Amino acid sequence: MRAVRWTVGAAFLVAVPWIVAAAVPGQQRYVLHVLIFTALYGALALSYDLIVGHVGSLSLAHPAFFGIGAYTAALLATEVGWPFAAALPAGIAMAGLVALAMGVPMFRLTEHSFAMGTLGFALVTQIVATNWVDFTRGPLCVTGIPKPQLGSLRIATLPAFYWMGLATVGGVGLLYHGLTTFRLGRAFHAVRDNETLASAASIHPLKYRMIAFVIGGAVAGGVGTLYVSYVGVLCPGELAVSLSVNLLVMIFLGGVGSLRGVLVGAAAFTALPEILRMAPTWRMVIYGLLLLIIVIRAPDGLEGVIRRRPSSSGA
Amino acid sequence: MPLFEVRGLTKRFLGVTAVDAVDVSIEAGELVGLIGPNGSGKTTLFNCVTGYLAPDAGRVLFHGRDVTGLAAHRIARLGVGRTFQLVSVFPRLSALENLLTFLQQHQEEHVLARLVRAPRVRRYEAAAVERALALLDSVGLAGRADDPAGSLSYGQRKLLAFAAALMPDPELVLLDEPASAVNPTMINQMKEQIRRLHRLGKAVLLVEHNMDVVMDISERVIVLDHGQKIAEGTPEAVRRDPQVIEAYFGR
Repeated sequence: MRAVRWTVGAAFLVAVPWIVAAAVPGQQRYVLHVLIFTALYGALALSYDLIVGHVGSLSLAHPAFFGIGAYTAALLATEVGWPFAAALPAGIAMAGLVALAMGVPMFRLTEHSFAMGTLGFALVTQIVATNWVDFTRGPLCVTGIPKPQLGSLRIATLPAFYWMGLATVGGVGLLYHGLTTFRLGRAFHAVRDNETLASAASIHPLKYRMIAFVIGGAVAGGVGTLYVSYVGVLCPGELAVSLSVNLLVMIFLGGVGSLRGVLVGAAAFTALPEILRMAPTWRMVIYGLLLLIIVIRAPDGLEGVIRRRPSSSGA
Repeated sequence: MPLFEVRGLTKRFLGVTAVDAVDVSIEAGELVGLIGPNGSGKTTLFNCVTGYLAPDAGRVLFHGRDVTGLAAHRIARLGVGRTFQLVSVFPRLSALENLLTFLQQHQEEHVLARLVRAPRVRRYEAAAVERALALLDSVGLAGRADDPAGSLSYGQRKLLAFAAALMPDPELVLLDEPASAVNPTMINQMKEQIRRLHRLGKAVLLVEHNMDVVMDISERVIVLDHGQKIAEGTPEAVRRDPQVIEAYFGR
């Protein structure tokens, strides 16, 4: 039964480009574009939740990892001519290595100071991207980033990018699930909930924080790589701190620490601003009000609402 | 060679000597009580020997190996279990998960093996669950295995923390006031649990405020006052020791 539901769900997601083409022929490109962003944001939010939701470290450095992966791949592709199959792992590895190097000093800080330290790192990264014009081309942006090509498979059309996004969020979802359940997941949660007791359980808090931070950072770098290969242009503005804010909204209003909650959050808060384009003047006001309503009515996020519903109707 | 040995352990806080050149020696399978008035340095000593505080002087040996200054998780991994004075569980995890958390580190874990769900990992998980359920049963919490630890009563959480400390099968268990702030029925239950642990051949160092509990179950009692060891011996001998009487009741 479960397997059937999963198969039907997966088939539906794969078939979305045709469904969209049939349902809204005029808006097809726009809808697919929003869906691609949703998928990439979903993957990015999951990688962020590994750090914030599972080991409980409020990192604000995620835009930096996203940007480091993106710049690494974009510059290797445009300046050196590396193929996508080499640039993607390079982007992932570079973001992971920087996370490894930054994690060691950052985790000497706790709680608020950790948040401030990672915020500082994110700001510095953006400033470097803006001002190191010889290397990153600064505000002129890296342009002409080639479309992904894997052997004879070229990802250039919107449906192809949609499937790439779907595969990304699926892959990251599996990784997220694998990392956050059973022994490894319990070690993460032990460190998050009570560091002192975790030590008594012979869990090394720093080790597990680093695992989550480095894997989360590396995945963010990978998503950054895919993102620029889709958009084709990379500007320093993509590394803005506001990205952390968007991700925080997604994971906290979606459901922190929950695969489904984070994905629901990513979908809701990527699609919502787009839907609200129908009311251009009031768009951000309505958006803000909706955020407030969710925070007040569902403090544990949309996941909490989903989880409560079946039990209350059954009672 | 004693299983566990503390030599000349000293810890100062801003010039106040909380633990002053204390020696403790525990043989395998021994049940030792550590008592003393409030502020006599019992918990500080505990935290120094389990890696939560770095001692200023002295040595801590486990199996003759110097473990002074090792991080808490490393001392735990060597086979030293402990509980905390203020009851400490993972409130959001279920009772069963609390116990499983304590076992996992004893088999080296491979992220990759975990990701591919190697059969070995799955077998290990099944064995861990079985052991955890047996331990929960032994402290009378089998029926609450899937409830979040935060929903248990205070006494039940103490029992859960106790069971969790036993999960990795430690050779030495340090219990920090297991009977404090629980009702008399629970105290008796806790006493029974500690006795059972002793029968299983584990060495136990018990810090306790409740004199009756310590005197009742310990084979040997160590008395601290103002950070110094003032007496050591059988419960009867310590009870009659004039220095101990003075420390507890004043002159």
